[in-house]
Amino acid sequence: MIEINNLVKRYGDIKAVNGISFTVNDGEVLGFLGPNGAGKSTTMNIITGYLSSTSGTVKVNGHDILEEPEEAKKCIGYLPEMPPLYFDMTVLEYLNFICDLKKVPKKERKEQLASILSMVKIVDMADRLIGNLSKGYKQRVGIAQALVGNPDILILDEPTVGLDPNQILEIRKLIRKLADKHTVILSSHILSEIQAVCDRVVIINQGKVAAIDTITDLSSKLSGSTKLSLSFKGPVKEVTNKLRSIPGVNNVTSIVSNDDTSIHQVEITADSSAKNDVRTGVFYAMSKGGWPMLEFRSMDPSLEEIFLSITSV
Amino acid sequence: MSAVYKRELASYFRSPVGYIALALFSFLSGFVFINQYSNGSVNISSEIMSLCSFFVVIIPVITMGLFSEDKKRGTEVLFYTNPVSMFDVVLGKFLAAMTLIAILFLNVIVHMIITAFSGGVVNIGSWGSVIVFFCLAVLFTSIGILASALTDTQIISAIISFVLILVIQLLQTISTLASSALYSLLSSSMLSLDTEKINTICSNTAAAISWLSPFSKTQDFRYGVFSISPLVYCVSMALVFLFLTYRILEKKRWSQN
Repeated sequence: MIEINNLVKRYGDIKAVNGISFTVNDGEVLGFLGPNGAGKSTTMNIITGYLSSTSGTVKVNGHDILEEPEEAKKCIGYLPEMPPLYFDMTVLEYLNFICDLKKVPKKERKEQLASILSMVKIVDMADRLIGNLSKGYKQRVGIAQALVGNPDILILDEPTVGLDPNQILEIRKLIRKLADKHTVILSSHILSEIQAVCDRVVIINQGKVAAIDTITDLSSKLSGSTKLSLSFKGPVKEVTNKLRSIPGVNNVTSIVSNDDTSIHQVEITADSSAKNDVRTGVFYAMSKGGWPMLEFRSMDPSLEEIFLSITSV
Repeated sequence: MSAVYKRELASYFRSPVGYIALALFSFLSGFVFINQYSNGSVNISSEIMSLCSFFVVIIPVITMGLFSEDKKRGTEVLFYTNPVSMFDVVLGKFLAAMTLIAILFLNVIVHMIITAFSGGVVNIGSWGSVIVFFCLAVLFTSIGILASALTDTQIISAIISFVLILVIQLLQTISTLASSALYSLLSSSMLSLDTEKINTICSNTAAAISWLSPFSKTQDFRYGVFSISPLVYCVSMALVFLFLTYRILEKKRWSQN
């Protein structure tokens, strides 16, 4: 568990982090979201003990990072933005060096490294020089490094930056797998990634916490109403009027209109409490009128929209 | 500490640095030795003393990457975020550099053996010079490490340590220059001091500057006359530089600029 209390980090006149407080529970995957320069990396650097805070406290499993640094650091595995790799070492030499740094007992070492190598899928690369590995593999070695010593908490700063889509998917899968045994804090500016992996999100903007919640709660909080998108073939005016008469529907607006093919798309705004009723109502209304429905989907605000609406204020 | 020590020592021989230092030192020591040997009179002390004057080139090469490379590559994060103390890291790197220097020194040991077997003189003075060699190495290596913690560019770190070591090597020359400069300044000025006073001021200044020189302190060692003060001087100066390095690295954590 990590308790962060009123964290401030000053750089000259600028407050990079300005009074951030939140708690990360055991076994949770927490997404750390914010535009560039919001203070994500600075906060992570303070949690891991790389930087000190100007004021405020960080407690890792009850150990204060400044007062009991060794105890606190034992609980944390950290992958910074730039993986801290020695290019002149082989993967195995490097991980052994990390074992030395983290004081992993000699007996457990072989077994632990074998399981880490297979977990991040770099068994075949164990004897290759890190400098010769591709970016994706380097990132995996970085994650392997964070896993050495079996820390309770993993802190990953933009772990998928610069990887190709396949590699991104694999790293995400890996993070999901790691979440079974570890508490994970993950920063990213790729919103779909956070949506795919995290239980809770902390949105940071200009050094302050803008929102903390689960993704579903965030989206329902933001919009009191549900939006549905409907494509159909038929007379647009008639259909619109018909749809408006369905109880629970607040508004219907046309998005795309093509009179030649008479295929139209409309956006239906409805009370979120009456969501299900509206959908069945729409279906029956369309079927009664003999207008074929080509596409019908709900438009929940994506994390993208939540993010934009919070950070643009 | 042992983790950092092992890694740094091994990394000397993963990169060209270790081999370059070894080749350079072997060439220089071999050159000096062969020169003496072919003249028929080998003086181990003077060989070691001339090698000491090459520290100004060799030590910057050995120490330039110790912290600057970590800074550049981002690997310094490992030292800050893992349960190791920064002083252990500094000490580990220092000992790795000292070990490399000890390996270089094996050349001289071979020369001593050759000398002893071919009827030359290896006496207590020779061993005194060995002590001087390592005292100076400890002092200069700590300066090199400080220089490499100051910057993230190897070349700049090498230049800083080159200049610092050069100044220390030239302290005796500097003291003469400083005292004569001071003399001309005082005697030509309007202060109208009497000559005796000027002489005292100048000679005291020269003495103060040359007191700092580790070379003048260890002069007698090569004749087999030992004293503890030069050892204390070198080791305590080295500790000061290592402590400064430690503080500079810790400063990064607390810096608010």
